Amino acid sequence: MTTTSNPGGRPIYLMLRMKPPWVFVDEIRRFVESFCACACPGQQREAQVALAVHELMQNAIPQAGGEDVDLTLQVDPVANRIEVAVSNPCSDEQFHDLLARVARLNSEPDALRSYLRAMSEAPSAARGGLGLARVRFEAQLELSVLREGRRVTVLGRGPLDAPQLQAPGGTHV
Amino acid sequence: MSSSLGARPAALQVSEEKYSAGLVNDATGLKVSFRGTISTVNPAAVLNPFVDAVHAQLSGANLKDIRVDFTELEFCNSSGFKAFIHWIQRVQALPEAQRYKLRFVSSPARKWQRTSLLALSCYAPGLVEIA
Repeated sequence: MTTTSNPGGRPIYLMLRMKPPWVFVDEIRRFVESFCACACPGQQREAQVALAVHELMQNAIPQAGGEDVDLTLQVDPVANRIEVAVSNPCSDEQFHDLLARVARLNSEPDALRSYLRAMSEAPSAARGGLGLARVRFEAQLELSVLREGRRVTVLGRGPLDAPQLQAPGGTHV
Repeated sequence: MSSSLGARPAALQVSEEKYSAGLVNDATGLKVSFRGTISTVNPAAVLNPFVDAVHAQLSGANLKDIRVDFTELEFCNSSGFKAFIHWIQRVQALPEAQRYKLRFVSSPARKWQRTSLLALSCYAPGLVEIA
């Protein structure tokens, strides 16, 4: 991919529709990181957005049951917004479970605190329970869930120029 | 490295298609090294037993800390990340005098490591250091 300028800071939009086996998630993450580095140069957001896409895709693929998983990425330099959306078919039970998990995360305003709680509570030997909290804190994206028909979409929205995360006490990383 | 094991530890390592990990004692001292991309469905199933074996090796060795080398770790998903939480919990379960610190050596080029290790250091402020 070559770096291109974006005069006027026009919104940039990417959509992928996939039936990916699990092994392609790494390729998608690498592509998104490269895409974001071009779409929002200088913002240092590409690794965080790529992490978010990876985690949301890994949640979506098992639920999709072999059907389409859609990834949409929007970068709006003028509005200072970035949005990641991953959608997949899901059952009522899966939707309500996802809705409850996101609601529980969002009930704690401090993303780090909810992440640390998830670290303590998520069973260490089983898959799941940490990814959404990780996206919310590490990628600095606010999460929401939408449903259209039998598809669910997890949205992550945040500022393009997110502040550098700090440890309590002020240590920059 | 604040201490070294009296005898070279048995090779403790795991190797999957996309990642590997091992307890190594090289010219720079003792360290646990992770390489590749940890992104399988449930990597904790592989990594937790590895971490347990490493912990068993280290917990009786009177170490103050152990380096955990992430410089060749391209990515780790949240399921794999749990193995490090598991490791911290094992250290926390030790009597205080026997605990050792995990000193993560990160790569500036792998930007995800900064935030992931920040979170881990917040989870266990006295046990996790970022080198």
